[in-house]
Amino acid sequence: MKPQTVLERAENRFGWQLVAPSLGVIGLLILYPILYNVYLSFFDVQLVGDNVFVGLENYQRLLTDSAFYDSLTTTAIYLLGTVAGTTLLGLGAALLLNQDFPGRNVVRGLILLPYFAPVISVVFGWQFIFDPVNGVYNYMVVEVFNLTDERMNVIRDPDLGVIVVIVFDIWKHFPIAYLLILSKLQSINTDLYEAAAIDGHGPWGRFWHVTLPELYFVLGTIVILRFIWNLNKFEEVFLLAPNVQTLPIFTYYTAFTGVIDQGLAASVSVIQFVLLCGLIWFYVKKVLKW
Amino acid sequence: MASVTLENVIKRYGDLQAVHGVDLEIRDGEFMVLVGPSGCGKSTTLRMIAGLEAISEGTCRIGDRVVNDVPPQRRNIAMVFQNYALYPHKSVRENIVFGLKRAKTEPAEIHKRLAEAARMLRLEPYLDRKPAALSGGQRQRVAMGRAIVRDADVFLFDEPLSNLDAKLRHDMRTEIRRIHKNYGTTSIYVTHDQVEAMTLADRVVVMRDGWIEQVGRPMDIYLHPANLFTATFIGAPSMNILDGTLDADGVHLGSHTLPVPPAKQAVAAAALEAGGGRARPIKIGIRPDFFEDCAFATMGPNSVRLDGLRVEIVEPLGFDREITFHIGESSAMARLDLRSDIAEDSTIDLCVDLERVHFFDPDSGKNLELVA
Repeated sequence: MKPQTVLERAENRFGWQLVAPSLGVIGLLILYPILYNVYLSFFDVQLVGDNVFVGLENYQRLLTDSAFYDSLTTTAIYLLGTVAGTTLLGLGAALLLNQDFPGRNVVRGLILLPYFAPVISVVFGWQFIFDPVNGVYNYMVVEVFNLTDERMNVIRDPDLGVIVVIVFDIWKHFPIAYLLILSKLQSINTDLYEAAAIDGHGPWGRFWHVTLPELYFVLGTIVILRFIWNLNKFEEVFLLAPNVQTLPIFTYYTAFTGVIDQGLAASVSVIQFVLLCGLIWFYVKKVLKW
Repeated sequence: MASVTLENVIKRYGDLQAVHGVDLEIRDGEFMVLVGPSGCGKSTTLRMIAGLEAISEGTCRIGDRVVNDVPPQRRNIAMVFQNYALYPHKSVRENIVFGLKRAKTEPAEIHKRLAEAARMLRLEPYLDRKPAALSGGQRQRVAMGRAIVRDADVFLFDEPLSNLDAKLRHDMRTEIRRIHKNYGTTSIYVTHDQVEAMTLADRVVVMRDGWIEQVGRPMDIYLHPANLFTATFIGAPSMNILDGTLDADGVHLGSHTLPVPPAKQAVAAAALEAGGGRARPIKIGIRPDFFEDCAFATMGPNSVRLDGLRVEIVEPLGFDREITFHIGESSAMARLDLRSDIAEDSTIDLCVDLERVHFFDPDSGKNLELVA
């Protein structure tokens, strides 16, 4: 509706003045790189000299490249594992720490530590755990429990490495799920549990009919946030297990190592971006029903 | 249906004792109201019957079964909560039949009971709505519906009407009365509102500070309160409590003397004798409703006149008018009708039937008529 009075028009103008700086920053730092990235994906990018327009050739090459499909598979495994893992572990921790027991507040604080810890230092810790020669993992598996005879470099193996990366991510990020779920748990009206008990439900029925429906949107939010974060996640995977090639890592190797091909890398980014937008759209419409 | 029996039931929270040894029998089909001010232990008592609070000591029976260690889901009770406690993500229909489904009732039977409850509570148009889309009164009716469709042994009500406005509260009171008439289920109802207690109950339990003060039919408690607490808590406006003196001539109240009525003479004599025959202070209780304007009063054999009382405030309420007047050192209230068209700062002659006047021991607070 068009503002009618002088005052309304003045207020409108003032509003635009207030949001203008943010719009400028967003445009410069987010919109411009995205558009430039889309632009690059249609070119054979030359580090020295002019870019050569190649149309859809980059995309055609990608879709026939088995390394790209391997990367997609790794990404899917990584996403499913981390999203399910953090959500379930967070839920379990929140349910447990919503019970009353002595020392609860201390535990509630301590459980957040992995989330606070700087990535770089804990990554080195984890690498040490899995070190083939000195690591505690191989010591336990080989020497103590005799599960295999052979010491393995778990982290360097692309197939096993993805599992380590998933476990690492769950350990590092379940506290955020736990935090969000716990705060919702604390706001559930205890009357509802009492009503469900009176209606004949034991602990499991009360969890299923009261707790879960109340947590639906929190769980939904956690799942989508984790999806977004982890589809774009670079540093944790790259630092911990550089052989695990999720899409961001694959893009990095394509763009900056070996036969440097930034046009091809740009087209991977575009596909990743479209994938993410599609996922979010589907999820918001069908699961969260916003 | 079943009776509910409490034997010396005690509730402790750490060192704090909230309910001190309650003995109570609620008969099969009876409507029992627990009433008292905040913190008197009435809700705690109800929640112990529901199984939502553990019983620290004593025994609770539903029917013949001791239920102390039976969790709420196996007590076969239905409960209406103060804040309704409707499941927000379930429709009205699902809310109402939730317990029935749990009990694996036949679908045809569920349908029949749902239809009956919805008709009775006028919820038919709202069955597919979520609780958030209902008004307070409608939500309360859904909570009620959830209770009545169940074939429960006992209905428990925890201040179900206290979140409603005055008009709705009145309507829902009638509704609850009607439900009890139809189903006849043993009901235990907690409230702090003495009007609800009076209107709904077969019998009332008046509680204070974790003790039972009096148990009885509403009119018995109204007419024969056991002590100062029930006398002032039950009845609105509240009973006037005046300071008087008892001696051999009767009871002195300012310049007025009330003779001791025949029924209470023995108790009065005993009270005097205990004090060595000396005059002793006494609390006199007269309900505002039992004062009459002498101009219109029909004098019975036990009626006395209190002449020349100074009227301080007159509050017309339509048919009734409440007047505040001075008697002796105290100020008191009388409820007269619109015929007594008196002005403030004038005087009035009030008559009262001595049978309606209560004498309380100022130390123990006990009603002397019931002491003997």
